[in-house]
Amino acid sequence: MKVVGARLPRYDGVGHVTGQTQYVDDVRVQGMLWAKALRSPVHHAKITHLDTAKAEAMSGVHAVVTWRDVPLLEYGHLSALGIPADEPLLAKDTVRYMGQPIALVAADDEDTAQAAVNAIEVKFEELPTLFDVRNAFDEGAPKIHQWGNWYPHFEGDMDRRQIRKGNIEDAFDRADKIISGVYRPAAIEHVPLETQVSLVVPEPDGRLTIYSCTQALYFSLAVVAAHLEVPMNRIKIVGGTVGGGFGGKVDTATETLTALAAMKANRPVKWRWTREEEFLVSSTRAPWHMEIIDAVTEDGWILGRKMLTLHDSGAYARFSPYGLTKHSFHHTGAYTIPNLHFDGYVVFTNRTPTTAMRGFGVTSISFAVETHLSRIADELGLDPYEVRLKNANRINDTSPNRIRYTDPSSVEVIQALSEAAGGELAPAYAGATRAPREGEMLPEHLIGQLKTEGH
Amino acid sequence: MNIVLNGVTVAIKSPPLASLLTVLREELNVTSTKVGCEQGGCGACTALVNGKPQRTCLTPIAAVDGASVTTVEGLGDSDHLTAVQQSFVNHYAAQCGFCTPAMIIAATAYLEGNGSSDREEIEEALKGHTCRCTGYQKIVSAVAAAVAETTFDLTVTTPSPNTVIKSGGQT
Repeated sequence: MKVVGARLPRYDGVGHVTGQTQYVDDVRVQGMLWAKALRSPVHHAKITHLDTAKAEAMSGVHAVVTWRDVPLLEYGHLSALGIPADEPLLAKDTVRYMGQPIALVAADDEDTAQAAVNAIEVKFEELPTLFDVRNAFDEGAPKIHQWGNWYPHFEGDMDRRQIRKGNIEDAFDRADKIISGVYRPAAIEHVPLETQVSLVVPEPDGRLTIYSCTQALYFSLAVVAAHLEVPMNRIKIVGGTVGGGFGGKVDTATETLTALAAMKANRPVKWRWTREEEFLVSSTRAPWHMEIIDAVTEDGWILGRKMLTLHDSGAYARFSPYGLTKHSFHHTGAYTIPNLHFDGYVVFTNRTPTTAMRGFGVTSISFAVETHLSRIADELGLDPYEVRLKNANRINDTSPNRIRYTDPSSVEVIQALSEAAGGELAPAYAGATRAPREGEMLPEHLIGQLKTEGH
Repeated sequence: MNIVLNGVTVAIKSPPLASLLTVLREELNVTSTKVGCEQGGCGACTALVNGKPQRTCLTPIAAVDGASVTTVEGLGDSDHLTAVQQSFVNHYAAQCGFCTPAMIIAATAYLEGNGSSDREEIEEALKGHTCRCTGYQKIVSAVAAAVAETTFDLTVTTPSPNTVIKSGGQT
């Protein structure tokens, strides 16, 4: 064995320690301009007036881009899957979150670009705002999105991601106890040390070279080409070196606007966000609102689960429907529950749009499920590890979306956690394995799933 | 104005209130000092000024007129890494790498100040530096190993498709 078990050097290690690794901000081109954005100072408003004449007339300003300059103004992150678009590249008549871009200025230096941004005349007529997903369903909640307050395009025209499995009413009829909980993890900013940045160079042959910190290079290529309405072979994206992403550089944040400014100025343009922009405007992990109601037996079996999830998408959909779908598939966590009734909504608020972050859609449900499992153990007076080991996924159990597990590691992971925490398991649990259920580990409510849920 | 950059005296044309960071990156094309926050918070712009680590983003160029400034470009090159640089490679102390040059600058100053391999003292020396990838443990291990002059089984540090690495390295 020359490789397995060997400590191989990182291919980029020497570059990192000598300062030779080239990030987007390190690329040098002649005649480069700097970009700054006019961003909405309010959370939700009609734009009643937008005049860029003074900015355009300023010395050192080479391009001012507004919605009028965008060939295809709205293109959604899921448009390639046939889902309608909801987000304009630059705000046209409405802003739906603080920091939403309205115009981009390219100038000789950042100070000149910022002065030009400050010279743009813009007026707003403020509208009611919504900041908490739970309030989106309230009677009288302000309507903040063209589609209403939640996303209506699952499977074409469904307004939720829903899962129905087994017989939920029967499970609740047979329960010894109903145990419920509400879980609300907050938004998290990724804080990559490298802020969002791109550099776009118009080439003599009419093509664009885009230096990008994207985590999703081919995705960004398609998004830029769609907005610009040019074939993809007119665009070359140089990427692959990312100064920290953690999911926050999956969305195409800067490339398209920088490209438009570069095309209009016919000069290379760099747009590098400040740390303030990164914190205030870049996408975050979503806040979630999760309600779990479980039907349990007094010896710790979970017969059924009813769940409502509200996923805060921020002002626009972007990738949130995808994140919620993953969330729904994982909503029983590492445990097998045969009777399920799950409704999940992608809810719009006047927050900055949210996105992927390390386990998109899944960390939220893991937090909720594990907290809830401990709550069940507390309320029943049972050992939390034993409750987990009872319900833990075994070979031939099925997931919420009816995937049969062929090699789940839940049992061993929980045993290892117990050991690491200094716990002592009863022999029946210490000796449990992932093998198919039998005997005491195959209670009546799980026999049904084995007989009927196979594919 | 001038500075002695990595041993070479260079004249500066930027205005006196331009930050040393901007001068290094935009006038002198020294790009290992990174723009992370431009407000002294993250440490990614750190260089040695007269031998001491300093935030270049908060340093007006006029305040360091005539000073000696050292960045990682002035340490070892890829064929002649310093002990700190080699240790960072061997301990996987760099992931995305964006914070790494400044970390190496701070660690270099720590070693030159006869810092010990005590992990708490290393953490104190590096506490002004944010890393979002590693969780810091591998960075501290790299510095401790550089102090202790620990050697590694990871013998080849230049990527090559024909590289054969001995197995069973230190963990």
